[in-house]
Amino acid sequence: MAEERTILLVDDDDVFVEAVTAVLETRYRVRRAANGTQALQMIGEERPDLVILDVMMDHLSEGFDVARRLRNDPETADLPIIMLTGVDQVYNVRMEVDESWVPCDRYLEKPVAPGDLLRHVAEVLGS
Amino acid sequence: MARAEFVYLFAPELYERLVWFGRLRWVAVIVLAVSSVLGPAVGVEDVWPALFIVAVFVAAYNLYFTIVLGRRSREGHPYERLRACAVRQMLLDLAALLVTVHFTGGLQSPVLVFFVFHMAIGTIMLPTRVMYLIAGGTSLAVAAVYVSEAEGLIGFHPLDPAFGMCGRMCHVNMVAFAVALVGIVYLTDSVTSRFKERNIELWEATEALRRRTAELQEILHQMEVVEERKSHYMRISAHQLRSPLATVRTSLQVLTEGYVDPGSERGRKLLAGAVERVDGLLEIVNDLLELAKMREGRARAPWTREVNVNQLLADLFDALEPYAEDRGVRLVPDFEGVAILDWGIPPDLVYAFENLMQNAIKYSHRGGEVTVRLRVADGTLTVRVEDHGIGIPEELVEDVLLEFVRAPNAKKHAPEGTGLGLAIAREAVEAHGGTLVLESREGEGTTAIVSLPLHRDPATENGAGSMGSEGDTSAGVTDA
Repeated sequence: MAEERTILLVDDDDVFVEAVTAVLETRYRVRRAANGTQALQMIGEERPDLVILDVMMDHLSEGFDVARRLRNDPETADLPIIMLTGVDQVYNVRMEVDESWVPCDRYLEKPVAPGDLLRHVAEVLGS
Repeated sequence: MARAEFVYLFAPELYERLVWFGRLRWVAVIVLAVSSVLGPAVGVEDVWPALFIVAVFVAAYNLYFTIVLGRRSREGHPYERLRACAVRQMLLDLAALLVTVHFTGGLQSPVLVFFVFHMAIGTIMLPTRVMYLIAGGTSLAVAAVYVSEAEGLIGFHPLDPAFGMCGRMCHVNMVAFAVALVGIVYLTDSVTSRFKERNIELWEATEALRRRTAELQEILHQMEVVEERKSHYMRISAHQLRSPLATVRTSLQVLTEGYVDPGSERGRKLLAGAVERVDGLLEIVNDLLELAKMREGRARAPWTREVNVNQLLADLFDALEPYAEDRGVRLVPDFEGVAILDWGIPPDLVYAFENLMQNAIKYSHRGGEVTVRLRVADGTLTVRVEDHGIGIPEELVEDVLLEFVRAPNAKKHAPEGTGLGLAIAREAVEAHGGTLVLESREGEGTTAIVSLPLHRDPATENGAGSMGSEGDTSAGVTDA
């Protein structure tokens, strides 16, 4: 599958990143970042086609902060974002995909089955 | 409301009665007014103006009290005000009755009967003491009118002019009247006093119930707070377990669904990663169990005993030496005095101090020094575990004592760790009646300060040891 689209995977759990990379690499080119700062820097260098973001990394809502910065920057405002996290367990809030609260195109909870992940990615990239 | 005084009608009921009597009084006003108008017709020409004036007088004060009572709702009147109101109304009623009696034949007056009414109702509504006074006063007032009439000091107005002064027979009537007034107060009181007592009991029981309810509400509130804390803790714990579980599941699923060949290098890496996460999970579960055990009050275990903290720390120095050496950190003891707790749970204290020393070593830089200072003063043992390592960001100095809170610089410096160690250490110290406080500056180092009372506070239910001779031993230690 040589779609050659690039996905930036941002998560601080190296094992999880390894597993998800293996799944995504079946169809896409995957780059990885372990925290928000690194992610923003990599996006600045080379714009990916999609960002998959974890929420809790070094800071509690780091993923949200990254997503908001991307959305507020005209350069990256249209960059598709998928949140992939288990954060709702902590906040006890059922977070809907709401532009004002969680600026993302899709909100997925860990763990996500590989097939489902690929389907969501394809849908977001296709639109 | 003063409890001992009167309790048959409470404020709301007394209010209702007063309103009801107000209505009755309007009936009396109408009867008086009609009588005065009909007076000339039935031949009592000379008294009708007097009766009319009495009717106007009664109407005036009844109107006044109606307005006063109407100003507030049923619940709005304080009991004392209502009672004063009732006494005033009664005195005015009796005065009006007295004048009416005088103008309708004195002791021959049919109106006399209404005095008895007032005594009976007054005894139900007001303190008996007050009613005896009123009954006596009324008897004297009626006697005064009677004597004045008999002596010709004031006029005599028989209803039927055919009647004259009743002579000796009326002395007997007068005495019978006085006895009737006081007697009706006595009889009414003897019948109602039982109810009054019941009412007092009821009122006391209600008060007790109200107090108890307030206490229960307070306890309930405290339980809610505890419950909330618990559920928050559960949620945090669940998340802490869920993240690594999600990673393990995803890793295994990637392998089982054929995205990665288990035999490949990446496959082995994923399997090793899964094992690593499972180990982490086990560590968290063990720590959670440890914490739960301490929270359940292991301090009340019967096997508490005297603990020599100097010895305990010395043993820990030996145990942690290899770990410190491994990380290139020097352990320095600085003990002054001997600290013997007269009761304690050795494994829990070991856990607490071991954890603090381990942290100090873990977050020190290679070549650094960890100093453990022990001091004893005023019946309190203080242990300071000082390092010059990475420190804690200012905003997290207090929070890292909570479950699962780890500072980002700590995670970076030493990725392993459940975030439960300090919470358990604090729990252990607090179970001994002590405190654990952290002082820290990011980049400069951290000092963990444990303060423990040498003697068990008898007020706390912790521990089974007795306060005894050990007390004197440590008094000597203080000066050492």
